[in-house]
Amino acid sequence: MSARRFWVFIEQEEGKAHPVSWELLGVASRLASEVKEEADAAGDTVHVECILLGNQVEHIAHEAIKYGAERVYLVDEPELEHYRNCPYYKCIVGVVRKYEPEVFLIGATTLGRDLAGAVATSLRTGLTADCTGLEMGEVKGSKQRLLLATRPAFGGNIMATILCRQSRPQMSSVRPRVFPMPPYNPEAVGEIVREEVPLDEKDTEACILEFIRDQAESVDIEYADVIVSGGRGLGTPEGFKLIEELAHELGGVVGASRPCVDAGWISYAHQVGQSGRTVRPKLYIAAGISGALQHKVGMQNSDFIIAINSDPNAPIFDVADVGIVGDLFQVIPAMIKEIKARKEALA
Amino acid sequence: MNTSDEKIRFDAIVVGAGLAGAAAAMVMARAGLNVALIERGQKAGGKNYFGGAIYTHAIGEVLPDYMDRKPPFERPVTEAGFWMLSKDGGLTKMTVQGGKLGAEPADAYMASRAIFDVWWAEQAQKEGALLIPKTTVLDFIRDSAGQVIGVKTDRAQGDVYAPVVIVCEGVNNLLTQKLGLIDHDLEPAHIALAFKQVIALPMDTINARFGLPDEKHGLAASVLGDVSLGLPGMGFVYTNNTSVSVGLGMMLDAVVEYRLKPYEVLQRYLRHPAIAPLIKGGQLMEYGAHLIPEGGYRDMPKLFTGGAMVAGDAASMVNALHWEGTNMAIVAGKLAAETAIEAHKRGDFSAQTLSQYEARLKDRFILKDMKQYRNFSRFLETHPEFMDAYPSFINDALGQFFSAYGMPKKTLFKNILGSLTSRRQLFKAVGDMLSMGRAVMGW
Amino acid sequence: MFHALVAVKQVPDTTNIRIDPETGNLVREGVPAIMNPYDAHALASAVEWKRKLGGKVTVVSMGPLSFTVTIREAVELGADVGYLVTDRKFAGADTLATSYVLAQVIQMIHEKEPIDVLFFGKQAIDGDTAQVGPGVAVRLDLPIITYAVKIRDIDLAKRQIIVERKTERWTEVVEAPLPALVTCEKEIAEVPFAPLPDLIRSLRYEPEVLTVDNTGIFDAESIGVRGSPTVVFKMGTPPLPEPGEKINSREVGVEAAVAAAFAKAEAAGILTSVLGGVK
Ligand SMILES: Cc1cc2nc3c(=O)[nH]c(=O)nc-3n(C[C@H](O)[C@H](O)[C@H](O)COP(=O)(O)OP(=O)(O)OC[C@H]3O[C@@H](n4cnc5c(N)ncnc54)[C@H](O)[C@@H]3O)c2cc1C
Ligand SMILES: Cc1cc2nc3c(=O)[nH]c(=O)nc-3n(C[C@H](O)[C@H](O)[C@H](O)COP(=O)(O)OP(=O)(O)OC[C@H]3O[C@@H](n4cnc5c(N)ncnc54)[C@H](O)[C@@H]3O)c2cc1C
Ligand SMILES: Nc1ncnc2c1ncn2[C@@H]1O[C@H](COP(=O)(O)O)[C@@H](O)[C@H]1O
Repeated sequence: MSARRFWVFIEQEEGKAHPVSWELLGVASRLASEVKEEADAAGDTVHVECILLGNQVEHIAHEAIKYGAERVYLVDEPELEHYRNCPYYKCIVGVVRKYEPEVFLIGATTLGRDLAGAVATSLRTGLTADCTGLEMGEVKGSKQRLLLATRPAFGGNIMATILCRQSRPQMSSVRPRVFPMPPYNPEAVGEIVREEVPLDEKDTEACILEFIRDQAESVDIEYADVIVSGGRGLGTPEGFKLIEELAHELGGVVGASRPCVDAGWISYAHQVGQSGRTVRPKLYIAAGISGALQHKVGMQNSDFIIAINSDPNAPIFDVADVGIVGDLFQVIPAMIKEIKARKEALA
Repeated sequence: MNTSDEKIRFDAIVVGAGLAGAAAAMVMARAGLNVALIERGQKAGGKNYFGGAIYTHAIGEVLPDYMDRKPPFERPVTEAGFWMLSKDGGLTKMTVQGGKLGAEPADAYMASRAIFDVWWAEQAQKEGALLIPKTTVLDFIRDSAGQVIGVKTDRAQGDVYAPVVIVCEGVNNLLTQKLGLIDHDLEPAHIALAFKQVIALPMDTINARFGLPDEKHGLAASVLGDVSLGLPGMGFVYTNNTSVSVGLGMMLDAVVEYRLKPYEVLQRYLRHPAIAPLIKGGQLMEYGAHLIPEGGYRDMPKLFTGGAMVAGDAASMVNALHWEGTNMAIVAGKLAAETAIEAHKRGDFSAQTLSQYEARLKDRFILKDMKQYRNFSRFLETHPEFMDAYPSFINDALGQFFSAYGMPKKTLFKNILGSLTSRRQLFKAVGDMLSMGRAVMGW
Repeated sequence: MFHALVAVKQVPDTTNIRIDPETGNLVREGVPAIMNPYDAHALASAVEWKRKLGGKVTVVSMGPLSFTVTIREAVELGADVGYLVTDRKFAGADTLATSYVLAQVIQMIHEKEPIDVLFFGKQAIDGDTAQVGPGVAVRLDLPIITYAVKIRDIDLAKRQIIVERKTERWTEVVEAPLPALVTCEKEIAEVPFAPLPDLIRSLRYEPEVLTVDNTGIFDAESIGVRGSPTVVFKMGTPPLPEPGEKINSREVGVEAAVAAAFAKAEAAGILTSVLGGVK
C-alpha cells in the first residue's frame, strides 16, 4: 500500500496566486481520477496536493483547497517574500524528497520556467515543457499508468507525447489558459501542512536590489473574456482601428497574428499563438487570419469562435463555431452596429 | 587578433558563389592559387533560383569525377520537348525520350539550386578556395593607373586585395557597370522575370501523372501557348524526385506595362485544365521569382578590363530558347579562371593578357551560340504569335484531325486552314516561319 | 582579466522560415541552420564585456560535428576559443543529460581558467524549453539570473554582477556573487556585423573537439539516452475538430450574416454573458 500524490506548485507574487495554479489543480484532480480504479485495486491511496511558498501567504492555501487541493504544503518564511530561484528550488526539492509525489505540475510562466528546470535537474528527473495535453495512460512494461505529456514539436507542426519511465516525480510545465478553470467550492475542506526547510546563507546570496514597474500600459490578453484578433487580412496597421472599435464595444481586448506583430502594426503583447500567448476567452473573433497551426494552438480552446475571412477555404474555419465568409471591412462595421443595437435593447 | 594594419591579400578574388563563381574558384584553387570566393548570401547560392536543369557536360568539364562526389541531382532529363496549351484547355506534347536522352550519366539533371549551389561551392572549398559568405562586394580598388587590384566590401576593415578579380554577380550587373564594361542597366525588354512554384507530390504520383516509369526518369518541358496571356513568355514543367517545378518567364517590360501581378499570371497558368491535374493535391514548398538576362549577344558587356573579368549571367550569357544559362556560366567561369592562371604565370594582369578570356570563349559554344541566337529575343518581341496563336493552332489542328471521324477529309483540312487563317493571315504565317528560322539559326 | 563562457546551440531557423507573401504558405526548402538567436545576443553581450574589461570569451556547444559552423560563427562574433562537445554516445540527450554534459565541460574549463560569468540564451527556439540554463546552474551550484535584459555592472574586484531581468510583472534588478549564470533575452546586446578580418579568421577556425574518450569526465549513466529520463512515446498531428457553420455574406448579405452569427453565439449562451459584463 502506498500513497500516490499529484502535486501542483502554487505560484504567487505579492500575496496573489497566479490563476494557472488553479488550472493545474483542475488537471491534477483529473489525473488523480484517471488512476483511481487502478489504485483502489492495488490498495493505494490517491491525493491531490499543492506546494506553496512565500511570506505570510496562508490565505492562498485556503483558496487552493477550494479549488480542489486536499492538502497544501506551506513553506512560509520572510526569506521567501520575493521569488528567487535558489531558495525556492531548494525548499521545493526538500519537500518533494520528503513526500515523493508521483506527478508534479508547474505553470509555464516566467517564474515557473525559471523554477521548473532547476527543480527537475536537482531531482534528476524528467520535465516536459509547455504541455498542451496531459493524461495518465497505460504504457507497456509499466504496472502503473504513467503521465503522458503531449507538446508541440518542430515549430508546432507535430505533436509529441513524452513520458518519464523511471524517475519521479514526472514533471510537466503548462502554459496559462491551456486548461480550463476547475470549479470553485467554498465549502471544501482540506489540510495545511507547514514545512520548514533550512537554507544555507549561500542560497540567498543573490538578492533583488529594486523593482522597476513598467510605465507602459500592459495588455493582459491571457485572461480576457473577449478577444477580437486581426491578421494580415487587415492589410495595413490602420486596420487595427476597426478591430479596436469592435473590441471596445464588446468590452474586450485586441489580439493579433504574428505577421502583424512582426510588421510592427501592433506590439508583441497582443500576439496570440505558439510564440505568443495562449488564450481562452468566452468569445474569440478572428478577422483576416488564415488560421495557421501556430495561431490555432493559441486560441482553439476559446469557448466560442467567430471567424471572418474572405477565403471560404481558410483553415481558421475548421476551428470556428461560426464562420462568416466575407470582407472584414464590411462585416466588422456591421458587427459594431449589431452590438450597439443589442446593448441598447438590453438597457 | 587584429589585422587592421595588415592588408587581406589573395591571389584571386571571385565575386558571387553561384555556378560561374564556384567553377572559377575551383579551377584556380586547383592550380594552387589562393582564392577568395565572396558571396553576399548566408550560403553559396542561398538566394539563387532557377527552373531547372543542369547540364553535365559543363560540370564534367570542371570536375571530371563529379559523379563520384555524389552531386545532389534530382531526376535525370530522359524526356524533353515542348508542350503547347490552347485556350480551350487542349494540350499537345512534342517531346522526345529515350535514345540519347537515355544515356548515363544523363546530359542534364533537374536540381534545386539552394542545395546544388552549396555542393558546388563545397567542391571549390575542397580545392582550397576560401568561401567568404554574408559579405557583399560594393566596389573595386584600383591602382593609380586604373587597374583593378582588389574589392571593397560592406564590412568594417573590408578591403580585399588580389591582382585579378572575376565578377560572377549574376543578373544584377552592378559591379559590371562599376567596371565600366557596360554603361547601363539591362532594359526591361531584355530581361525575363521568371517565377515558379515547387510543389511536393509523392514519387509514385509524379511517375503516374507524367507517364514516367520510375524516379530514374524525368521530364523537362518548355510550355508554349496559353501560358502568359498572349504576351511574350514561356512556361516550364520539370519533375524532381518528389516535387514538380512549374513556372513561367515573361519579359519584364510586359509585366510592367500591363501591371501584371506575376503571382496571378502564374495562378492562371497553373489552373489551365492541362496543368492543374498534374499538380493537384500537391503541397506548395516554395514560390519565388528571379530575373533572367535574355538580351543575348547584343546585351553582352565587354568581358574584361585590367585586373578583372566577367562571367555568367552578369555577362548575359543565357540562351533563352534552350533554357541554357548554367552551362554557359560554368564554362565561362572556368575559362576566366584559366586566363587568370595564365596571367599569374606571366605575372601580368593587364587588359591585354586578360583578353585571352574572350578568345577562349570564341572557341567554344558560348560565344558561338550567343551570336547565332542574337536575334531571338527581338524576334519574340515582334512575334508574339509564337507564344499564343501558333500553339493554339497546333492544338486545334491536331484536335480536329483526330476527331474528324466520319467527316469528309477535305472539309477537315479546310477547317484546319480556317483555324490557322483566323488566327493569322496565311502569308504572314509563312513569313513568321522564316523569321523564326532566322532568329534561331542565326540566318 | 574577465573570462566569460557562452553556451551556444545550433537550431533550425523556425522563426525565419520564409512565408510566401502571396499565399501565406511556409517555404521549407533550404531552411537554414542558425545559431540560436538568444545565444547570439548572449554572446554579443559577453563580447561587449570582454572589450570593456579585457579578457576572453570561450564558447561551448554540444552537438554533432555540423555544429562547427555555429562555433565558427561565434568566433566571427568575437569569441576567442570554441569547444565542440561531440560524441555518438551523447545522442538522444534530453535537457537533463544536456545540462550534465555542459556542466561537466564547464567545470573542466573552469578548473583550467576560472570563469566569471556564464552566458546562456533564454531558451532554444527549436524546443523552447528554457531548462538547460537553470539545469547547469543547479549542477554547478551557481546563482542563476534568468530573462536578463541588461547587465548593469560586472565588478571583478568585488566579485559581483548586477543584472536587470524582466518578468511578466516588472523588471527586477538583481545582484549576485560571481561566478554567476545569466540567461539572456535579445535586448541584452545587439549582434554586431563583424569586421572582415574576424570573419576570415572564423572561417578557418577549428574548434577544440571534446569527446567522451579524450576528456574522461563523463559518467556513462548520465549521458545520452541512458542519462535522459524522458522518452518520446509517440508523434502525430493533432486531430481536427468538427468545423462549425459557415455563412457566406455574399450570398445572404452582410447584415444577415452578422445577425445569424450572433444568434448562434447567443444560443450557445455566450453573447448574453459577454454583453452582460459591458456597460
Ligand atoms: C515557429 C513558428 C511560430 C509561429 N508562431 C505564431 C504565433 O504565435 N502566432 C501566429 O499568429 N502565427 C505564428 N506563426 C506564423 C503562422 O505560421 C502564420 O504565418 C500566421 O499565423 C499567419 O498570419 P495571418 O493569418 O494573419 O496571415 P495570412 O496567413 O496571410 O492570412 C491572412 C488572411 O486574411 C484573409 N483576408 C484578406 N483580406 C481579407 C478581407 N478583406 N476580409 C477578410 N479576410 C481577408 C485571407 O483570406 C487570409 O486567410 C508562427 C510560425 C512559426 C514557423
Ligand atoms: C526560372 C529560371 C529557370 C532557369 N532554368 C534554367 C535551366 O533549366 N537550365 C539552365 O541552364 N539555366 C537556367 N536558368 C538560368 C541559370 O539559372 C543562370 O544562367 C545561372 O544561374 C547563372 O549563373 P551565375 O553564376 O552567372 O549567376 P548566379 O547563379 O545568379 O550567381 C550569382 C551569385 O553572386 C552573388 N552576388 C551578386 N552580387 C554580389 C556582390 N556584390 N557581392 C557578393 N556576392 C554577390 C549572388 O548572391 C549569387 O550567389 C534559369 C533561370 C531562371 C531564373
Ligand atoms: N546542445 C547545447 N549546446 C550548448 N548550449 C546549449 C545546448 N542546448 C541548450 N543550450 C543552452 O541552453 C539555453 C536554453 O536551451 P533550452 O533549454 O534547450 O531551451 C540555450 O539558449 C543555450 O544557451
